[in-house]
Amino acid sequence: MQRFQYLIVMALCVGVTLPLEFILNARVYRRPRRMFGALLPTVAAFVVWDVFAIRLGHWTFSPEYTTGWKIGNIPVEEITFFVVIPLCALLSFEAVSNILRDGWVATLRAGVLGRLLPAGRSGTGSSERGDTTRSEELV
Amino acid sequence: MPWYTVMTLLAMALVVALELVVIRSGIFRMRAFWIALGICALFQIPVDGWLTKLSSTIVIYNPDVFAGVRIFFDSPIEDWGFGFALMTLALALWVRQGRNDDATSPAVRDAALATGGGNERD
Repeated sequence: MQRFQYLIVMALCVGVTLPLEFILNARVYRRPRRMFGALLPTVAAFVVWDVFAIRLGHWTFSPEYTTGWKIGNIPVEEITFFVVIPLCALLSFEAVSNILRDGWVATLRAGVLGRLLPAGRSGTGSSERGDTTRSEELV
Repeated sequence: MPWYTVMTLLAMALVVALELVVIRSGIFRMRAFWIALGICALFQIPVDGWLTKLSSTIVIYNPDVFAGVRIFFDSPIEDWGFGFALMTLALALWVRQGRNDDATSPAVRDAALATGGGNERD
């Protein structure tokens, strides 16, 4: 179990920021194309840096707290890091943007809580693609 | 040679230049960007701290390659520059693509298509 420590930290980052998607209506995971469009070049750039830094001995990883699973010379934990941390940033940014633009009440109402609370909203037929959220945004 | 320090400063400068010259998302003028970065920098204290604390280190830095300033739970100060570059690049790309994605009004979309702009909608 000790060797999963790095991955567990990453999982916690995902878990802690997940409510931003639904409660503060960040809509990052629900825009996968845009999400990957932001993440892929970022991951690629930092993986290149990581490859050289590891090769040159700038940093190493505890064999005790990492799985030892690697792609090339990069531990899978590092690749996870380059995906997870920017993802946390995107979720934070979208949540903050929503609050600055619409205020807390409207943001919470647009999120999943708004569908549970009797807020006098009609048209709850939210499809899987979140089209209702999109149309709300355009108003 | 403090290579991590040098590379971090280089990465930060590169990302800023990339945003200002190529990506041009306008993110540096957005209040939400700075607030979100601030929040992430705070959460970086426990996360980074857990990875770098000297008592049971997960990510082990070669002491020869960084400036030697460790803050909070033994995290090299460079890590915050690394985080800035990592998160800013992703955010700039995200905002940039959102300009195409959110251009859902037909007029805007036609204009984007006419100029060869992305029709990348999710």
